[in-house]
Parts: sequence; structure tokens; C-alpha cells
Amino acid sequence: MKAVILSAGEGTRLRPFTVSKPKVMIPIANRPIVEYVVEALTKNGIRDIIMVVGYKKERIMSHFQDGKNFDVNITYVTQKKKVGKLGTAYALSMARDHIDDEFLAVAGDNVVAPEVISDLINKRKGTSLAITKSNTPSKYGVVTLSGNIVKNIVEKPMEKISDLISTGIYSFKPDIFNAIDLLMSERKYDLTSVIQSLIPKEPVKGIVTRGMWVDAVYPWDLLHVNACALGKAKGKTAGTIEKNVIIKRYVSIGEGSVIHSGSYILGPVIIGKGCEIGPNVCIYPSTSMGDNVQIQPFSLIEHSVIMSDVSIGPTSFISHSVIDDGVRLGTNFTVEHGDADIKLGDKFHKVKDIGTLIGEDTLVRDKVAASAGSIIGARCKIASLRKIEGSIPNRGIIV
Amino acid sequence: MEYINIYHGVRMCGIIGYTGKKNARSIIIPALKRLEYRGYDSAGIAVINDEIQLYKMKGELEHLERILPKLEGNIGIGHTRWATHGQPIKKNAHPFLDCKKKTALVHNGIIENYMELKEELMKEGHVFTSETDTEVLVHLIEKYYKGNLEDAVRKALKDVQGSYAIVVIHLGNKKEIVAARNESPLILGVGDDENFVASDIPAILEHTDKVIYMMNREIATLTEDNIKITTLDGKEITREWERVDWSLEDAEKGGYEHFMLKEIFEQPSAIHRTLLGRILDMDETNFLKIHFDSIKIIACGTSYHAGLIGKYLFERIAKVPTTAEMSSEYRHSSPSFENPLVILISQSGETADTLGAAREAKHRGYRTIAVTNVVGSSITREVDEVIYTRAGPEIGVAATKSFITQLVALYIIAINLGLAKKTLTYDNAKHIKEGLRSLPRYAQSVLDNADMIKEVAKNICHAKDIFFIGRNIGFPTALEGALKLKEISYIHAEGYPAGELKHGPLALLTKETPVIAIAVKDHTYQKMLSNIGEVAARGSPTIAVGYESDEDLRKYVDSVIYVPTIENLFAPIPISIALQLLAYYVAKERNCPIDKPRNLAKSVTVE
Repeated sequence: MKAVILSAGEGTRLRPFTVSKPKVMIPIANRPIVEYVVEALTKNGIRDIIMVVGYKKERIMSHFQDGKNFDVNITYVTQKKKVGKLGTAYALSMARDHIDDEFLAVAGDNVVAPEVISDLINKRKGTSLAITKSNTPSKYGVVTLSGNIVKNIVEKPMEKISDLISTGIYSFKPDIFNAIDLLMSERKYDLTSVIQSLIPKEPVKGIVTRGMWVDAVYPWDLLHVNACALGKAKGKTAGTIEKNVIIKRYVSIGEGSVIHSGSYILGPVIIGKGCEIGPNVCIYPSTSMGDNVQIQPFSLIEHSVIMSDVSIGPTSFISHSVIDDGVRLGTNFTVEHGDADIKLGDKFHKVKDIGTLIGEDTLVRDKVAASAGSIIGARCKIASLRKIEGSIPNRGIIV
Repeated sequence: MEYINIYHGVRMCGIIGYTGKKNARSIIIPALKRLEYRGYDSAGIAVINDEIQLYKMKGELEHLERILPKLEGNIGIGHTRWATHGQPIKKNAHPFLDCKKKTALVHNGIIENYMELKEELMKEGHVFTSETDTEVLVHLIEKYYKGNLEDAVRKALKDVQGSYAIVVIHLGNKKEIVAARNESPLILGVGDDENFVASDIPAILEHTDKVIYMMNREIATLTEDNIKITTLDGKEITREWERVDWSLEDAEKGGYEHFMLKEIFEQPSAIHRTLLGRILDMDETNFLKIHFDSIKIIACGTSYHAGLIGKYLFERIAKVPTTAEMSSEYRHSSPSFENPLVILISQSGETADTLGAAREAKHRGYRTIAVTNVVGSSITREVDEVIYTRAGPEIGVAATKSFITQLVALYIIAINLGLAKKTLTYDNAKHIKEGLRSLPRYAQSVLDNADMIKEVAKNICHAKDIFFIGRNIGFPTALEGALKLKEISYIHAEGYPAGELKHGPLALLTKETPVIAIAVKDHTYQKMLSNIGEVAARGSPTIAVGYESDEDLRKYVDSVIYVPTIENLFAPIPISIALQLLAYYVAKERNCPIDKPRNLAKSVTVE
């Protein structure tokens, strides 16, 4: 059976982390989100993958190449244009030429456990849809079931209908492309609408799965998703660990990394390749750190996602924060963390226990403090001795 | 080696041999596909069944595939050719058969004394069917064959002068392949109930990752369950196989239209790999403990340009007088009173001229270091120290990630050298290392702005000539920019030091000659602006490559390619990547065969 992974979208709600990479390539426990999807498929014996790519597709292609390193064959299909925010059906239609039998369609931007896919494969009948329970159903396509047949599906309803939501993982027969064509002729381009249109005509099976399915809708969600994934990460240490370093619980350290003396690392923590940590640095759960990261002496990092090529100055404190590739922080960078109201677009979001979010290649000088819920865009420049509050747009300069 | 001039002797071919239980054709044809980048003007295959079934064809491998019937047989050889001797026509394609059609042979290299041998063999009654040097080998083997193929090959090779990698099969030994190498690459692949011989690893990687590297003047005899290696003099050798740590998929395009673009976009991760573990400890400084008073960097083509940039780095960071020379020139130069450290740069580690230069340098008693991408390649056995660039396999003929990683390796050497020579303080070294750490991000940043470069490419793609000018470290960067452009877009392009413009090149400028100026804000910036003024005054379209913080640059030129603002010392990295993209998009606009430019092959294993 073939699978189509939809990974063409930007993931605008995750800005600033999607400035130069698509949402599916944001690292969770040092692996891009879509890699979890690929792994869930291979664990179910699916080797032929059609990847629909679009926004910053080179990032995906350079990572997976032809897929052999991931034990799959990948065919890339480029989505030619953008059709609004929810173009999932349009994106899927791009893969039509490669489909001649029953197939799976999977959103590439959720961390998915293999059980979700096996539940769908084992229980599927005709058009089928994997469903999970959510505490915050209003962010998703909410499903109501009658037995195991989908009665209704509503995208982001205002009132509470049910706590069952669509995972964006489907099993289709090739004739789905006819239904998609029909919908697109009515200028509807999302798969939820396609499913809705099918409900009166044929039974659509809803399969409730207990397998792990986590989604990051907003940038602060990355911390929770990362912690979930890290809980499962296996400990494996390479690199050089100097004397008097304490490492407890699951800690993974990549090749070529050096942990200098006096450092204390409490897992689950994952550290990539070629990093230089310490001396005397504390890293607490649940933190992940990409490749080529440098953390200078006497700093404490906890519950954070630090991506690659980041440099953190001495005596810094970073907690509940997401720091994108290539960010350079000076000495004594301090993050305040706690509950915050974060404004995104016109809406305020109440976010629990959040630190700061920093976009790629931003340069922060010495003794800067970031308040809880602050968002610093990509390629910003922040002078010494500033306090950052609210949001700073990309390329913002604070003198 | 005068023959080179007569025959325009060049380049390399791809060779494969198989013995085992599978259908030989089904192994050989896909393997040849993986070797096609080595040469592609004719191809051929020979498989033993009741007789030797031989098919060959002019042109790309597809032409051969079209005429090729199903072939029975579990032992065979194949070849893709890049003409050295003789026209690229069918009768000159490999494999070659002897008079009785019992021996088949493929060859990469050049037989220097083939004229005499051919005359002699013709006197003895052998009939030649081609103009190639290779054909003498198969007749020599026929002449010496007395039931033992290995002995016949050994005797034949004793008569031969020159370079070769050969693979031979014979009807009298239906389970056996004999291979030999001297100065041309050849590797053995160890399988289960099957064995392989090939000129390059990608050809066999689909079937096995266990590889034995053959050395010069060695003969290997392969059956499906055994590999025996002997020297040309008959001494038996035991050598363990090594596991290859890259995989075939690395050699595939993975969604990109061309290998070149794929490799350009791989550069941030390639830089990561080159740096890995090297900017923390200084394990590779052993070679710096010996005494030398200067550095000589020797390389060809793009690697030579890396060497020219290396010259600036070594002089600036380590204060060691440095010269860069082309391998083909150095190896024939006369020794002088000097005591240099010699650094040889070759992506493949098989470049014939660079290998020759390495031997010459060693012969003169100098300490030698190789910077190469290919583990176990020939050059690694010629030099005292090796620094691997770890760029991963590079398939596109135009060097991209190999160049950038060579530069990174040279920065690393320069820092170590500066520390060893005490011309660099710990603090300065730390500062440069921090710069190195951030290189992957700068590289990524250029790639993220590829669309801007695509636009510039559209404006210049119809030009007949394009000039690149630079000053200081920007000069070799200009040379490399010009080389990239000319080799894949076929636009005539030259790089000049900007100060040399008025000493000649200005005369060539017209309104149709775009000039690309590398204008970074270093101490030569003002002078570069006056050079741009000189060019603009002739009405030539001007394009500057400069830092994104330099907004005024727009005022002086028609268009600007902006790269992220970086310390001047590192400017060649983002600028070179921008110019690679420019060359790529120009070639694409012009519909050029980007991964296989005409008349060029990936690594040049013949002088």
C-alpha cells in the first residue's frame, strides 16, 4: 500500500519558526515532525511514499533525499500553487498520477505513533478516517459518530459538539480523486469538505485510535510535543564526556559533542552532534538541543527546545522556551517564565507556563531579559541590557 | 608523455565486473548507470554463456539498453567510456575481444607503449578492429593464455607501460574474473556467493557495502566465493574488506532536478560534517610539529581555487608565506631551495596530475598533506597526512559542496597552524572558531534567498561573455565563480583581479558584457567601487555581490546579489554559494545538461 504525506504547507501559525522551513521540518526531540510520520508508516510495512511538497521544499528533500536512509522510497510531487489556508484536498490531488490502488493520506505535520496507522489499516473499510480524542477540539475538525460511521465533521466549530477530532489520516480508494475534483469545482479545497460531501453518498468509517497523536498548532505547543516525544527517546551517548560530569536518566549525546567538566545533565535530554557544553552547565528535563550548539559556562537550560547552530552565553537561564536555528545569545540572558496572554494576529491566547520564543539567526547582546510569553522574530538584533516584552517582528532591531 | 598532446588524452571510464549466481546483465546495466557520470560517449557489455555475448553502442547508456536483448549468464563485464584514444564510435567502445573471441576485456587508463606492442602483435598475426590503445591488452592476453587467465594477464601486463584498471573474462574459465590496476581506480566488492569489481563504489553499493581497495600493480582473481589478490610479481596478499559508510541513496537525486542543485542545497549539512569534532580539540596538528618555512598548495580546477583562497588564509591567520600551484604545472617544475609543507587538494583523491604532484613533492623530501573527500582514495596512500572533507558523494560534474568543504578544511588547518606557529592568540583562534561555527547558518541563509539569484540569472543568461572581478580574497572567489559559470552554462567567463582591468580586459567590455563584481566591505571596498565605475562607464551591465547591510551598493550597479553580512575572512563561503546558484540558474535558463557538461568528466584520472 502506498501513502501520500501532505507536507506542502508553511504552518503560518507557527511563525516565527517557519520563516525558512516548513512546519513538517520543525525538530521534535531532534527529528523533524514528518520523520515521525515516515517512521509510523514504515513500522506498518508501508515503503512507497509520495511526499507532496511546496513551501521551502528543499528542506524536506535535502533531509530525506530518496528515502533510502529511512527505509522508504520517496517520490516528491510539488504543489504548484497555494489555495488558501486549508488546501489539503488540492495538495492530495497532486499525487493522483502515482496512485492506482487503495492508499493512505497522512498529514505530515503531526507527531504520530505507529499504532494510529495500524489501527487505520486493520479496521479500514472503504473511505476511513482515524479519529482521536482531544481536550481542545475547537482547534480541529470535530467528528460526530454513529456507531463507527461518521455522521458529521465540522472544521473548528464555535460550540462544543464532541471531543472526537480528525487526525488528518485517511484511507482512500483511487475514486476519491473524482470527489475531490467535484469539490474543487465548487472552490472547496480541503479534505474535511470532501469527507462531508461523501457522508450522504457512502458510509465513511471513523476509527477511534488510542495511539499517540500530538499536534503543534501554536509555537508554544512545541514544548509539550517535544516533552512527549522525549519521554520515549532512548539514551545513547557518543562524543567526549569530561571528568566530573553527572548524567542521569535518559540522555542522548551525539557524535563529536563535548560535555565539559562540572556539568550536570538530568534526562530526558537529547543533545545533537558537535555541541560544546560547559564547563559547569546544568541541563534539566525535558530539553532537546540540535547540532553544533554551544552553551557557555554556568548556564541553566530546562524544558526547552534549542535547535541547531545556537550559541548561548555564560550565566544564562533559559526555561520553557523555543530557540530556533542560529540564534546567538550573549552573556546572562534571562528568561522569565509563567502564565501569559500572548497576542497572535488579533487574538489573545492564554498560555500556561511559557518562557520566550526566538526566531532563527537572531542576535541578542548581553544581559537581556525576556518576559514570559515574549516572541522575538527571526533575524532580530537586540542590544545589551534590554527587557523584551510582547512581540518583536522579524528583522526587528532594539537599540 | 608526449602522446597526450597527440591524442588529447583525457579522463576516465567506468568499469564493472560480476561473478555470482544472478543474471550478470541485470547487475551490470544498473551498475553502469551509476558510473555514467564518469563517462558517457559509448558503452558496452560482455556476458559469458556458451560463448561470449558482446554488445556495444555509441552514445549514452540508453542507446545500448535499447538494442540489448536478454542475456543468459552469471559472469560478465561492462564499461562506459570517455574517449581518450580514438573517436567515440561503436568499434572503439569496450569490451574488446581477442581474435578467437574467447577473451573479453574492459580498460580505464592509457597504454603508453601501445604502438610498438600493436605492431609486434600484428606481425604475429593478430587482427585489430579498433583504433584504441586498449585492444593490445586483449591480444597480449590471448598470446599468453595457456589455460590460466591470471598468469596470462600477469605476463601481458609485464609488457605494458602506462596506467590501467582492467577487468578480463575468458571462455576457458567460466567462473573467473581477473582484474588489475595501476594508476587507475579499481575496487573489489565482497558479496555473499557473488563478487564484484568496479571503478567506483556507487556501482556496487546496491549489492554490498564490503569493499577492498586495490593498490597499484596488483592483480585480483574473483570467483563467486573467493577473492585472491597478488602483486604483479606473483606475491600473494591478504587484505581485509572495509565497510563503506555512505549509502547508494546519497548518490540519487532525491527530488531535485539536478545533482548539482541537490549538492548546492546540501552544503549547510556538509559544513556541519566537515567541522564535526574539529574545532574543539586539535588532534590533527601532528604535521605542524615538523619544520617548514612556507606552504605550497597544489591542486587542479576548483580545488586549485580553494587553494588560492587558502593562500590568503594561511598568510593572514598563520603568517606563513604560501603559494598555490596547479598540479599539472608543479609536477614538471624544477626543484628550488625551499622547504615547504605541501598541501594537495583533490575531491576524488584520484586526480592524476595531483597524484603525480604528490609523488613529486614526496620525492623532493617535503612533508605532504592531502585534503580529499574520498576515504581510501589513491592520494591517501601517497601522502603523510590526510584531512577528509566529509562532503559525502558528489555526482554533479561541477564541484560545489566539495569546494565549500575544502575551504572549511583549510580554515581549520589555518587556525591550527596559527596556534602552532604562535601567530594566533587563543582569543583570536576562539573568535575564528566561533565564525566557523556559524558558517552553516550563513550558507543556509544564501540558499533561502535563491529566488533573488534566479532573477539575476534571467538578466544575464543571453550574454556571450561575462567577467567576474574581485580583490583580495574576493579574487579567487571571482575565479571560481567564472569557472562554475563557464563549465555548466557554456558562457565564456573569466575572473580577474579588479586592479588588472585597466591592464587589458577593459578592452573586451561592451554593452553586452555583464561584469560581476565581488564588493565586500573590506579595505579594498572603495577601490572596487571605482572599478565598478570604470566598467559602468563602458556601458557594461554591472552586478555586485555584497553584504545585505550594504544598502548603498545598489546605487553603483544595475543589480545586486546580497549575501548575509559576515566577517570578511569568511566572505568566500556565502559568495561562492551565491555564485554556484547563479551558474546553475543561468545554465538552466539556457537548457544546458547541467550534471553532464560536454567534454568534462567528474574526476580526471588521466593526465
